[in-house]
Amino acid sequence: MKHITKVYGSLYANNDIPLTLNKGEILAVVGENGAGKSTLMKILYGLEQPTSGEIYLNGEKQNFRSPHDAIAKKIGMVQQHFMLLEPCTVAENIVYGKEPKKGLFFDREGAVKIVEELCEKYGLHIDPRLKVGDCPVGLQQRVEILKVLYQDADIIIFDEPSAVLTPQEVTELLATMRKLATMGKSIIIITHKLHEVMAVADRVMVMRLGKFIQEMPITETNIEEMSFLMVGRHVVERHVDPQPTGERVLDVKDLVLAGSDAKNILDHFNMHVDAGEIVGIAGVSGNGQSELIQCLTGLLPPTSGQILLQGKDVAGHSVGEIREAGCACIPEDRYLWGCAKEATLTETAIMAHQHKPELSKNGLLNSKGAKVFTQRLLDNYDVRNSGQSQKAGELSGGNIQKLIVAREMEQKSPLLIAAEPTRGVDIGAIEFIHGKLLEKRAEGDAVLLISSELTEIMSLSDRIYVIYEGQAAGEFRKEDATEEDLGILMMGGKLV
Amino acid sequence: MNSAYIASIINATLRSTTPILLAALGSAICSRVGVFNVALEAQMLIATFTSIAVNYFTGSALLSVVVGVASGALIGAIVAVLQVKYKAADMVVGTALNLLTTASTTFLLYLVFDRRGSLIDERLVSLTKINLPVIKDIPFVGRVLENLTFIDYICYIIAIALFIYLFKTVSGFRDLSVGINKTAAESLGTKATAIQMRMVILSGALCGLGGVALAMGQVIMFTENMTSGRGFIAMAAASLGMSHPLLTIVSSLFFGLCQSIGLALQNVIKSQLTTAIPYIATIIALVVFSKRNKKN
Ligand SMILES: Nc1ncnc2c1ncn2[C@@H]1O[C@H](COP(=O)(O)OP(=O)(O)OP(=O)(O)O)[C@@H](O)[C@H]1O
Ligand SMILES: [Mg+2]
Repeated sequence: MKHITKVYGSLYANNDIPLTLNKGEILAVVGENGAGKSTLMKILYGLEQPTSGEIYLNGEKQNFRSPHDAIAKKIGMVQQHFMLLEPCTVAENIVYGKEPKKGLFFDREGAVKIVEELCEKYGLHIDPRLKVGDCPVGLQQRVEILKVLYQDADIIIFDEPSAVLTPQEVTELLATMRKLATMGKSIIIITHKLHEVMAVADRVMVMRLGKFIQEMPITETNIEEMSFLMVGRHVVERHVDPQPTGERVLDVKDLVLAGSDAKNILDHFNMHVDAGEIVGIAGVSGNGQSELIQCLTGLLPPTSGQILLQGKDVAGHSVGEIREAGCACIPEDRYLWGCAKEATLTETAIMAHQHKPELSKNGLLNSKGAKVFTQRLLDNYDVRNSGQSQKAGELSGGNIQKLIVAREMEQKSPLLIAAEPTRGVDIGAIEFIHGKLLEKRAEGDAVLLISSELTEIMSLSDRIYVIYEGQAAGEFRKEDATEEDLGILMMGGKLV
Repeated sequence: MNSAYIASIINATLRSTTPILLAALGSAICSRVGVFNVALEAQMLIATFTSIAVNYFTGSALLSVVVGVASGALIGAIVAVLQVKYKAADMVVGTALNLLTTASTTFLLYLVFDRRGSLIDERLVSLTKINLPVIKDIPFVGRVLENLTFIDYICYIIAIALFIYLFKTVSGFRDLSVGINKTAAESLGTKATAIQMRMVILSGALCGLGGVALAMGQVIMFTENMTSGRGFIAMAAASLGMSHPLLTIVSSLFFGLCQSIGLALQNVIKSQLTTAIPYIATIIALVVFSKRNKKN
């Protein structure tokens, strides 16, 4: 790719970017949120057309008008948000677009066979008859990869593939990528996790603010240099001093959420969070964390048990009542719970703030107040945007996350539930969001942190619970917690 | 209750089912590709009028069927352009077309035929009744299948054909994928909007055939607002049948039965009450079903 430029309105999402990729090579593209990484990949995959610049493949000039053209030239992309047909089977999803036929009919048995052979060939195992909707995220991603392989792609683009995976799944994914590279596939990976870059890539390219900054072989760089180039300054590691805690803000007693079968999703779960502390919940995703958040915030009524928020039992109350009672929440899935993609930034920012006197009076919104309020959030949290009327869905993934964090922080509630608060945000922003969480703690509020990033839990929390199959499998003080012990409990083991 | 009476009820049920089933299939295929088509009523009603009008002037039953189906498809095409291509709100498009068709057919009835209320004429020819040679002499079965038209048979064949198309062929699979996740289907190179438009037009043709069955089946006439809500009953039938062609046969038969019971009771109870039976059944069926759905 040569001199790629993409302009949205007055914003240069990509500015004169060069990119080269050799056969059998893994290239990592890193950069801050909104640096233009996804945009560059969408151009390569034909989802967006460049304002100017050219793409050459094996020396031939290309003109991709749609993904269809790119797929035909053996370019495949595993998108950040999966493109799957959930009620359909794994096999149906993989063969989509090039289905095997038997006479006039769709040969579903043939599809299963094809997928089995494909799995064998690339050593990626999955049951082709499973319903995609029933598969965990890691397997869904594998379906996406197999889909690309079935289309016989030689170039595979991964956009933040590890953001939604558990640590084990990430390890597997990286191994898969290496294997594909040795089989002659060329791979581009976008990620914010620099240790993954070090582990898997041959070469790294750094972008900042739509511009190409530098490119180097992985053997000649390190994490510190990359993060310096990305953010433009040094990122320091944080040291958190212990502080005394206050009264009990959240007390969860014997919480039960029955599942569809005999097993409880939340099984007599107990925990508490005091004022002035950050409590982390560690666990492999799918062990009841999502449901716990939904019970705490009022999205799901628990079967039994108490949720005491500042002494008042809010179990089974509505979302509005619970927010009123002093709980704010950064939800785990920003597009599902956190915002409406079609809403403007102003609308996104004032959600759940709309009743405040500065924003509305007698049921009428004060649009000037809303603008001022929104601008403050956008500025204070460094959300890169092209104006308040931009749609939430048009912000880069990390930037919409920052806006949601800003909105929930601004509630200044006694309790903040932060679920995966730094998913998909760059290292500079992670540092920033962590700082904000610690500020909240310093102000004497309670923070419940749920994260699949063990390092995030370990570095911020005063106390840590491990959740396994809906039960609190262990509780640690920060000083007593080790990564090994947490890991054992997370996998359902016992400490001796 | 003797067997002749039961046979005649079944016969009436089959006849009332035909228009509902055809429209319900039209509704089902629209939902399967992710379009909420509210204009079923208009698609049917236009066909009752055009088929009778063509019948009146040409005396050709075949031509009446063809024009009826085509007029339904035409309304379908309007829905496709407004709702799918230009993304207008489904409720608005549907309701507007329903009202427009009711009013304009009434108006044309007056303008072209100088009649108010209905058009009945000895010039109107009926569809050929199919009386199967041997079967018509079997006592019970003969009565059950008496005087049915080819549309009364063909609607089941269409249902089965749609089932095979949607669930067994590759292009049916692509069509379904559009209803499941349009963006995903598009990102894989499927022309989703074109598929949706095609399906809506096909739904118009199916409703058109249903309208023809209504106007030229049991009776041969056109009356103002002849469909009287059958489009909406069909919508209910499709949703009870989970937009599955074969299950939709079952749910449509249920509504057909309600209608024929309503007709049969006309001499016993006040007719205002009996005509309400299918609609009451619709509401009850929807409530019961959605409750059960919620539990799952
Ligand atoms: N459709 C669009 N309309 C307007 N602006 C857009 C659109 N898509 C992206 N942008 C802007 O282009 C810039 C680059 O976005 P892009 O998604 O490429 O960032 P990114 O590097 O992938 O960031 P992240 O790491 O947060 O995913 C952002 O400032 C974003 O707001
Ligand atoms: Mg991105």
